[in-house]
Amino acid sequence: MPERAPDRLLRMLGMVAYLDAHDDVAVDDLAAQFGVTPDQAIADIDTLWVTGTPGYLPYDLIDFDATAYERGVVTLVEARGLTRPLRLGGREAVALVAALRSMASSLGPALDDERAAALRSALEKVTAAAGDAAAAVDVQLPAAATPQVAAAIGDALARGRRLRIRYVDAGDRTSEREVDPVRLVTDDERRYLLAWCRASQGERLFRVDRVVAAEVLDAPAEEHPLPERAEVFTPDGGEPVTLHLASQGRWIVETTPAEAVRDLPDGSFEVDLRVVQPAWLRHLLLQAAHTVIDVRPAQVAHDAAAFARRALAAYAPLLPPGEGG
Amino acid sequence: MAPSIDPAERLLDLVIALVNTSGRMTKQQVRSSVAGYQDAVSDEAFERMFERDKDTLRELGVPVLTVTDARHGDDVGYRIDVDAYALPPVQLTPAELGVLSVAVQVWQDATLRADTTRALTKLRAVGEGPSATDLLAGLAPRVRADGSAFGPLVEAVQERRAVRFTYRAASSGEVRERTVEPWRLLARRGGWVLVGLDRDRGASRSFRLGRIQGRVRPVGAPGAFEPPTDAQLADALAAWTQGPERTAALAVLPDRAAALRARAVDDEAFDPDAVPGAREVLADRDLVHVRYRSTWELAEEVVGYGSAVVVLAPAGVRDAALDLLRTASRLDIPAEVPRA
Repeated sequence: MPERAPDRLLRMLGMVAYLDAHDDVAVDDLAAQFGVTPDQAIADIDTLWVTGTPGYLPYDLIDFDATAYERGVVTLVEARGLTRPLRLGGREAVALVAALRSMASSLGPALDDERAAALRSALEKVTAAAGDAAAAVDVQLPAAATPQVAAAIGDALARGRRLRIRYVDAGDRTSEREVDPVRLVTDDERRYLLAWCRASQGERLFRVDRVVAAEVLDAPAEEHPLPERAEVFTPDGGEPVTLHLASQGRWIVETTPAEAVRDLPDGSFEVDLRVVQPAWLRHLLLQAAHTVIDVRPAQVAHDAAAFARRALAAYAPLLPPGEGG
Repeated sequence: MAPSIDPAERLLDLVIALVNTSGRMTKQQVRSSVAGYQDAVSDEAFERMFERDKDTLRELGVPVLTVTDARHGDDVGYRIDVDAYALPPVQLTPAELGVLSVAVQVWQDATLRADTTRALTKLRAVGEGPSATDLLAGLAPRVRADGSAFGPLVEAVQERRAVRFTYRAASSGEVRERTVEPWRLLARRGGWVLVGLDRDRGASRSFRLGRIQGRVRPVGAPGAFEPPTDAQLADALAAWTQGPERTAALAVLPDRAAALRARAVDDEAFDPDAVPGAREVLADRDLVHVRYRSTWELAEEVVGYGSAVVVLAPAGVRDAALDLLRTASRLDIPAEVPRA
């Protein structure tokens, strides 16, 4: 896709400001500074060279040292008033500050001192440069994992190493597996590690708060082909379950991949789910019980209720007689 | 006809012309003298081109000022005041630029990603050297935020401009138009939240971005509402501010709840005699202390373990867990109405 004109304009304006502050910059360095190929940097310089104030006579134009340029070195001679770097726009500033704050709250304990310092100082400088815009957003996300686990995941991702993890699934079963980590994924509720699981020979999303131990191995992480939507949890197969929920249960469809949602005239709604792990659905029903009007099949509701009654029985010694549930 | 000029080059020529003009340039002067505008085949085509270019520049943070001059009557002129739109003095190290280039990958939404990329391009101009890209490579968390509501709301917060949108209230399921003076956007567990003044209610309200339906439309002029006082803002944000860190005591069956045990802390000593019945519960269970900030979040977490985890203290968490369990224990009793 050809680059959009506004993006190229921004970069060319940035180049003039940068070159005004730095003499004798090699074309390759200029390209690296702006994250483009040397050919693109040359095209940008060539365009800058023919722009200027109306009249477009030699003294009207942005000008570079031609002798130096022949040697592959860019030296700005005339900036035509474009020496000031541009302020961040409101949306730009907010999007960047929010991204950095998400990184800080998501990666925090996963970073070694050098990386943590770079993230902290980048956030401070950008927040200052953003001015009032930075106050428009407030990011408070829960820490995802114990510091040791977060650090091991961070290290493995940064160095491209395989991980051995102890993982607890939704049914409270612990297993040990070797995985090739791909990246961290955040959805509205939780952090996940997207990784290739060597035992199951497929990509998996591991809830980071259920990784109870992680060890970085010497073996490099292998690359594996990943489906395009690997970051989104899409259960294949599984049992169909339909929940009829009061409106207050709306958060369930906002946080759970649903097959279908039907809004009903009284404000309640039905949601169709595919359930691979019964323990996961049971936990969902326990959290949302006060909004549940009906569950199909009925056995699912019965299982969850029996599970809750067993849990209540465990509390019996703590409760006054007659309050057992 | 001369070969047509690349749009980026035309925009650049327009910026240079309007930055260097001694006072202002009229549309006619732009059309006749700025390179690229001669390509316009008609008055209409020129108007469209010039308006679009002004919009583009405004979007990039380079607003074209309209200058009227008494001597020229209604005749409008334009200029750009670069100093007023300059970045405050700042220098970024290669390591810091490296962090920013990773930040660009955070957003899954294309609009937000484009905004972040532009911010990075601007900041590259004040980098001391090329970004050190390997520092955080691969570490960018991916964050889902739906830019269709987020972008316009950010702009509205910035501009202090009221917005109108269709919203589904979770409490009643009612779908209704809301007119809101937007104050802050919050990223919280459970997604993005807008906090602002609901004009119809005359009070502050919180709105989950995920429950906004359709487009967010600006209402009225920028700067048109009074910003909240510090007290109003603090009040509105109170529900969204994490509480102090506290410790809960749990009784856990052997070999169960490994995820809870992994974050156990051992600097707290729960006194089993302080809670009647605790010794009995602990007879065949381990005592595990965990830190928490939100009572309901911890209660929701522990009920997932069923009888494997019993909350001993504090009473608030225990009661919240018991409440969930009692409600759930009636799930197989047919209900006509939602349980209270």
